[in-house]
Amino acid sequence: MLYTISIKYFLILSTLMFFSGVAGFIIRKNLITILMSVELMLNAVNINFLVFNRYLYPDQLQGHFFSLFIVAIAAAEASVAIALIINIYRRFNTIMVNKVDEMKY
Amino acid sequence: MGLTEILTMSHELALIAALIILLISEIFSDEKSKYKFIPLAFALILGAGVVGLIFGKTGIIFGGMYQNDALRMAMKLILDLATLIVFLQSTEWIKHPHNKNRVLEFYLLVFATLIGMNFMISSGDFLMFYLGLELATIPIAALAAFDRLKNNSAEAGIKLILSSALSTGLLLYGLSMIYGTTGSIYFSEIKELITLNSLSMLGMIFFITGMAFKISLAPFHFWTADVYQGSPIAVTSYLSVVSKGAAIFIFTFVLYNVFGATSAIWTQILVMLSVITMTIGNLFALRQQNLKRFLAYSSIAQAGFIMLGILGQSAIGMGSVIYFLLIYIFSNLGAFGVVAIISAQTGKETIADYRGLYATNPKLSLALMLALFSLAGIPPVAGFFGKLFLFNAAASQGYYWLLFVAVVNATISLYYYLLPVKAMFIEKTDSPIATFKAKPYMALSVAICMVGLVVTGFASVIFEYLVSVSSGL
Amino acid sequence: MNFHETFFILLAAIIMIFSVLVVTTDKILRAATYLLFVLLATAGLYYWLQYEFMAAVQVALYAGGIVVLIVFSVLLTHQIHHKLVSITLTRKLLAFGIAGLGALVSIVTIVNYDFNTAPAEAMKVDVRQIGLHLVNTGHNGFALPFEVVSILLLAALIGAITIAKKEESNSDNI
Repeated sequence: MLYTISIKYFLILSTLMFFSGVAGFIIRKNLITILMSVELMLNAVNINFLVFNRYLYPDQLQGHFFSLFIVAIAAAEASVAIALIINIYRRFNTIMVNKVDEMKY
Repeated sequence: MGLTEILTMSHELALIAALIILLISEIFSDEKSKYKFIPLAFALILGAGVVGLIFGKTGIIFGGMYQNDALRMAMKLILDLATLIVFLQSTEWIKHPHNKNRVLEFYLLVFATLIGMNFMISSGDFLMFYLGLELATIPIAALAAFDRLKNNSAEAGIKLILSSALSTGLLLYGLSMIYGTTGSIYFSEIKELITLNSLSMLGMIFFITGMAFKISLAPFHFWTADVYQGSPIAVTSYLSVVSKGAAIFIFTFVLYNVFGATSAIWTQILVMLSVITMTIGNLFALRQQNLKRFLAYSSIAQAGFIMLGILGQSAIGMGSVIYFLLIYIFSNLGAFGVVAIISAQTGKETIADYRGLYATNPKLSLALMLALFSLAGIPPVAGFFGKLFLFNAAASQGYYWLLFVAVVNATISLYYYLLPVKAMFIEKTDSPIATFKAKPYMALSVAICMVGLVVTGFASVIFEYLVSVSSGL
Repeated sequence: MNFHETFFILLAAIIMIFSVLVVTTDKILRAATYLLFVLLATAGLYYWLQYEFMAAVQVALYAGGIVVLIVFSVLLTHQIHHKLVSITLTRKLLAFGIAGLGALVSIVTIVNYDFNTAPAEAMKVDVRQIGLHLVNTGHNGFALPFEVVSILLLAALIGAITIAKKEESNSDNI
């Protein structure tokens, strides 16, 4: 029942999710939406770890725990990133990347 | 698992104890007197180093998640020393009225990153590696945004955390593929199980891309210059020396000891990255006027040279990388130290401001000259030997055309490293920086760097020791 | 097509559509909502894979924690109906070029790779097992990362507070 869907569909799904995150990272100009793109990427990685764990190596839990720790760290990273974004907003009164760019070559 | 086994990680435990001591001091200190704790931070980092030196022992604990050996212990001590120098250099900045009530936060964050780097260096599996890497990165973003006086600092913080999040994403995506093909996250098991197939190759490429972001190899270096320029100078030197050193160490180790079986692929990637990094770092360094930015690009170029050592693929290769990192720490921190002293005294940071410095501040000028000569690799300064051994390691594997590119780049770099020297010694100006006496702690930090440069340059025993404890493919 | 397959296709469709919408929509609060849909559908996927604990963590931490944090910061830094600036065509092409190329290479690799599915006896994943793994100090135990992640959370807390803390004096910079 569990393995009726091929692992490849899962991996293609996570790949699409990951690369929409990458595309978002490049096209987005708003710091918060960039952060969202990063969360998409990390989520895709989590799917990968869990699917590999379930389909290929169900006799141990390494992938499961790896994704558990990724979730924990992603939360920590997001909290610091949001503190930094609010810090930016206080100074520049905007969080658009193109305006937060005082340093030039 | 008993107490004696836990003591294998005595260095990390000492650092964690230091973190707790700092946390308690933060709670019980009053707002006005926090700067009194500055010597405490010096003592704690020294103490952690001494504990690591005395009680440190080799071993593998936590079922292979943590491993310690002579090379790792040496690397940790090198990082301790570098952190101590950074602490010495940061004293004036941290005493500034705007930072005075946040002194302990600064040290807390630095200690947290140092703990992360130690665990990363000692990691025996990819989970600890990832945790250490994140612990070494997230607090640094907060440190980069530490400066309240400058908008640039806030900008540096957000740029650092977002680019590091992107690189972490790429790296983890690669690691998930490695896990998919080998079924393990332990280094020792992956080493046995990894084979040359399309999925594991793709995973390795993503992994290398992620690491290339972290150690700012071109073309993944775009965040570096802004972050280095915007961050407070102490954080910049910490980032460019300590973080980078730790990341390069573990990168080398993983390539050798985990991806050893697939070296045919990663050597080609590294050759490409090395050529691009050296060239781009040099070309951008040529046109910088701000010294922090200048040192940022020069450190990008230096990372390109370090790749040559990694390509050596032998104990000599690894030894030469660590040896170069040691010299790089002294020369880069020496240069940053002088820049920090002058910046703290006058607020001036561009090369043009340094005109005629030799006439007014001869000692500082000589120190900066020595550091820049070492970065450029001019004999007989230590940096020359560092580069020589790196080139030698690459030559042993027959990368002759890469060596040629490297030598051309080293020659170009001579030119721009000599620009500040020329400004200080030859060019004249009506209003040079006035004569002043550097603050004792900062002067001490530069003095340590200069002594280090001389000692590491002439004591070949250091290099021999590092090679003897290194391991190749 | 049985229930399980239908369920999977539904989740996959939600994830795919909303992942793309997260990065293309021009209203930021909508992007946050779409992200929430993606994360919840992912939790459903974990449930489908019989990792119930991960599904719960996903809902609590990701959907509950991070998205709420993001929405808060959106509300703090934007007017709600704020429209995102339009993106230049070259940047769009660059982004979709890089991402498309990466996705293509990855998908081709995955499709052509020969996965050796379900060779071993599955391990039961209940909360007791997870707890035992988290305090196990041996091989396949995760006691050390569990301890280190707590230092990381402490450091992140200190870092976030250090930055976000208001200055006592000199308020002209805020």
